[in-house]
Amino acid sequence: MTPQLDEYLEAEIQRLLTESGATAEQGITLQRREHRLVLGGEVESAQRRDEICRQITAHFPDVEIACDIGIVRAAAPSEVEEIS
Amino acid sequence: MIRIAAVGDVHVDKDVLGRYRPALEQLPGVADALLIAGDLTRHGTVEEAKCMATEFGDVGVPVVVVLGNHDHQSDQQDAVSDVLRDAGMTVLEGDTTVLELHGHRLGIAGVKGFGGGFAGACASKFGEREMKNFVGTTEAIAERLGAALRGLDVDALVALTHYSPVPETLVGEPLEIYPFLGSYLLGQAIDSAPTALALHGHAHHGSERGRTPGGVPVRNVAHPVIKQAYNVYQLLTDTVDAGLTSV
Ligand SMILES: [Fe+2]
Ligand SMILES: [Fe+2]
Repeated sequence: MTPQLDEYLEAEIQRLLTESGATAEQGITLQRREHRLVLGGEVESAQRRDEICRQITAHFPDVEIACDIGIVRAAAPSEVEEIS
Repeated sequence: MIRIAAVGDVHVDKDVLGRYRPALEQLPGVADALLIAGDLTRHGTVEEAKCMATEFGDVGVPVVVVLGNHDHQSDQQDAVSDVLRDAGMTVLEGDTTVLELHGHRLGIAGVKGFGGGFAGACASKFGEREMKNFVGTTEAIAERLGAALRGLDVDALVALTHYSPVPETLVGEPLEIYPFLGSYLLGQAIDSAPTALALHGHAHHGSERGRTPGGVPVRNVAHPVIKQAYNVYQLLTDTVDAGLTSV
């Protein structure tokens, strides 16, 4: 049976992503849709994004997730801001 | 004129090695110093600190950092700082450094900071011991920041923290967690000295620009906010640089 995507589950996943040594991410947003959990936010590498999905699936195998997590770009800036 | 590059929340570990290097190679051409606003690592381990030192060491300009909450996760913050200092970085925790750049003195005071919230919704030192400790921790840190800033006599004064001194740069984060993202006490410390610029990180979903009640420009340079390897800020724009006078 698909688990209910309620607030308790959301809070549990939020804490898992922060407290699990494998992820240590505080900046992942969770959006509960009817049967699906949509993940948002940005992390530093593709490995970290994949590990987040892996952790959730390992702990909550019945939760269907959609991963919209991005990798933060790290290009050099093209502009300077004058502070006054 | 002084140009400083800044970023925060780089959260370096093995999987990040090499990602910042192409942008960092251009650093000496665009900035005189690099300031990093905490959360240098993921879990604050010595191994991660070594990765941080590899990625952000030897960039051709002075590197000044503060630690973030992630750098405290493994209770090895002192060892983490040692690794970074061995790599030539300046790690600030309630103290200051002065850089001589083109004949100008850039003073930087840095602390990690802590939470507590902002006017209208801030925590008070009242009730349980745990609550008093929470607010007391921020008070002590803010006092050190204020004293450090006021103790500097320089041409340009910069405050570097991990936690935010103002709520404006948190916009985008859930309101409910503002008290965990910063404190007005840091803003008050920054306003107690002639600070030219305040830099912070920590709020990955926050906004880039704000200003303290005293008028000091604040920039949230968390990597997910600026979405590039670092930002560059120009200070003392109208000053004449020593050694660059035309004949
Ligand atoms: Fe962070
Ligand atoms: Fe942080």
